[in-house]
Amino acid sequence: MTRGFGLCLIMLAVGLATAGPSWAQIPSGTPSDLFRDDVHAQAGLTCDSCHGKATGGEYRSIARTEIAPLCSRCHSDAAYMRRFRPQLRVDQYAQYLTSTHGKRMSSGETRVATCSDCHGGHGIRPVQDARSPVAPPRVATTCARCHSDAARMSAFGHQDNPPADWGKSVHAKALLERGDTSAPTCSTCHGSHGAVPPGVTSVALICSQCHVREAELFRKSPKKALFESLGQAECLTCHSNHEIEAPADSWIGLKDPALCSTCHDDSVKGAADIVAVQEGLQRLSVGIDRAQRVLDRAEQAGMLVDEGRLVLRDAHERQILARVTVHAFAAKPFTETATPGVAEAARAEAIGTGALQELQFRRKGLAVATVLIVGFLVTLWVKIRRLPPIEP
Amino acid sequence: MMRLQAWLEERMPIARFVEAVRHKTVPQHRFSLWYFFGGMTLFFFFVQVVTGALLLLYYRPSASEAYESVAFVMTRVPFGWLVRSIHAWSANLMIAAAFAHLFSVVFLHAYRRPREVTWLSGVLVFFITFAFGFSGYLLPWNELAFFATRVGTDMAGAVPGIGEAVVHFMRGGKDVSGATLTRFFGVHVAILPALITALLAAHLLLIQHHGMSVPPSIEAAQRKHGRPLPAMPFIPHFALRDLFGWTVALALLAGLSAYFPWELGKKADIFAAAPAGIRPEWYFLWMFQALKYMPATVFGMSGELLVLVPVSVGALALTLLPFLDPDTPRSRRIVKTLAGLALALMTTMTVLALLEGSS
Repeated sequence: MTRGFGLCLIMLAVGLATAGPSWAQIPSGTPSDLFRDDVHAQAGLTCDSCHGKATGGEYRSIARTEIAPLCSRCHSDAAYMRRFRPQLRVDQYAQYLTSTHGKRMSSGETRVATCSDCHGGHGIRPVQDARSPVAPPRVATTCARCHSDAARMSAFGHQDNPPADWGKSVHAKALLERGDTSAPTCSTCHGSHGAVPPGVTSVALICSQCHVREAELFRKSPKKALFESLGQAECLTCHSNHEIEAPADSWIGLKDPALCSTCHDDSVKGAADIVAVQEGLQRLSVGIDRAQRVLDRAEQAGMLVDEGRLVLRDAHERQILARVTVHAFAAKPFTETATPGVAEAARAEAIGTGALQELQFRRKGLAVATVLIVGFLVTLWVKIRRLPPIEP
Repeated sequence: MMRLQAWLEERMPIARFVEAVRHKTVPQHRFSLWYFFGGMTLFFFFVQVVTGALLLLYYRPSASEAYESVAFVMTRVPFGWLVRSIHAWSANLMIAAAFAHLFSVVFLHAYRRPREVTWLSGVLVFFITFAFGFSGYLLPWNELAFFATRVGTDMAGAVPGIGEAVVHFMRGGKDVSGATLTRFFGVHVAILPALITALLAAHLLLIQHHGMSVPPSIEAAQRKHGRPLPAMPFIPHFALRDLFGWTVALALLAGLSAYFPWELGKKADIFAAAPAGIRPEWYFLWMFQALKYMPATVFGMSGELLVLVPVSVGALALTLLPFLDPDTPRSRRIVKTLAGLALALMTTMTVLALLEGSS
């Protein structure tokens, strides 16, 4: 008896230790316990709604291939869904059938995802609920349950680990560290119910959903036609796909490790433009850093440099715009944006320097005043000492 | 010159005043140093009047312009930074000097008969000095001042029955707003100066009338030894020493203003959440800390009230001290002990609050 109990404990511990993300994402418990918090229970649905009538006190299990068609019975019925959530889309199943998951599932491959794999089976919560496995901050972990499982994915010829790569990206930092739910996760680029890897020609369109100005500049640039002719996936060529780093000014240049140097050297036609952009970015960055340091010093010394901060903010905004303008792949528009930024950074620095000079003036003034005051105090002291003594 | 003097003499009793000052003396004993703190408080008050008047030239008392006008004074007006910093530092030093003066008067029992009215006028000046600090703190309309004023005015709401009405009156509305700023400004530059000028004049006149009080222990020793107490002529002996102290205070003000200019902080945003670390000026910290330690309710009573009631009773007892103390050796010992305990409690609470703030 004791040995049996010990074995159970060990199995439970091993189960918990190896369950990983699936255990963390999908709430655990008996189906009836989980269903109490389910959005469907709140809408008045019961076990019978999905499983049909129980036979001999037991409900029949639903085959994986039957799950999506079963869900679609309600979720594709606009008239029915309007009673609960009039805003909810009803094309999920149609989209699913176009997805890689849906196509494979339709062909009988049950190892691919269906509705319950992402949403859960009995404890389904609305996407807006932060506890839902498909809430934006949790989407990547949900996808990772399969897409980071090398054994499972090798069966489909996938060797990489996109969720882990995304986890290192600037987008993951924005979403998970800063809580910026506008930052993209897996479903933002791949779609959710109709998830497929975007084709080479679609990538730029997908990125341009958020990076509108960059895409606009790129489309008008000579690189657009060039990349198309080379069959390169535009944005991905420099930024990669999942492990997208925060872009750095050092990416621009003709020498290693600059990204441009992968294709360009100083003999090519656009080399002068690359150098102009590189130098412009450096001037802006150096100017802003210097102004920042001077303003910080002045502020730490107790000087009010609000005006300098405002001007520096303008310079920062110019820097952001200039970095965006890099996507025009031409020196002229870049210089037109960056040059005022350099001037604003210089003005902010001048305000900081002025504040520090004012501080020095104050301190010198204080030194002079102190000398005068001390002289007056000494005179007073001498006068007090020379006063006639106090008589009792 | 002689004719002018005669003309003036006919209209004003200058000679009598000069004669009185010439013969004025200050008792000389081992506690004489404490006599200087009254004069020091007066010096800081004069500094406040002068710098306050200069700040008024540029200050605009509205929520949309107050912060900007102070920033303008700090950055654009020649020596504006100095005037504002001196005003802020001098306010703090004035309160510190007033504390020292008040507690020295309590410990030396200088409030005794016939100085009851002198004491009353002094205590009222002391309370008005606090009101100056509280009302002036909001005037730059910065984040810290805004939220500290909200907390400070909230405290009045704990008074049963009339609390809400008092808070509404102080704020000029439900919450701290531009209306609060305008009325705090009016109080700071019109009502309080009028009151303090009248009370200060009465206080100074009464001091001239009664002369400096000699502590009972010194009087007893004097009687025992039968020797008269040495007396220092006010002019020039005491006045020059006073001037020496004032000059040191001026140097201190200049140094503090040059090396630690008073911060302006961020502009108040009435829709923003209160930032962490909001607390009042150091002279209200002891009460703030006591409120922090007090649970929200104790045996069904509001925790705020449990702090505010003893503080109010203490303030009332302080005001009526000359009438409560029968002036016996035993009562003097009790007053000394209670004052010592109050001082220790206030110091401990302030130090704890400062330590919490720095950590």
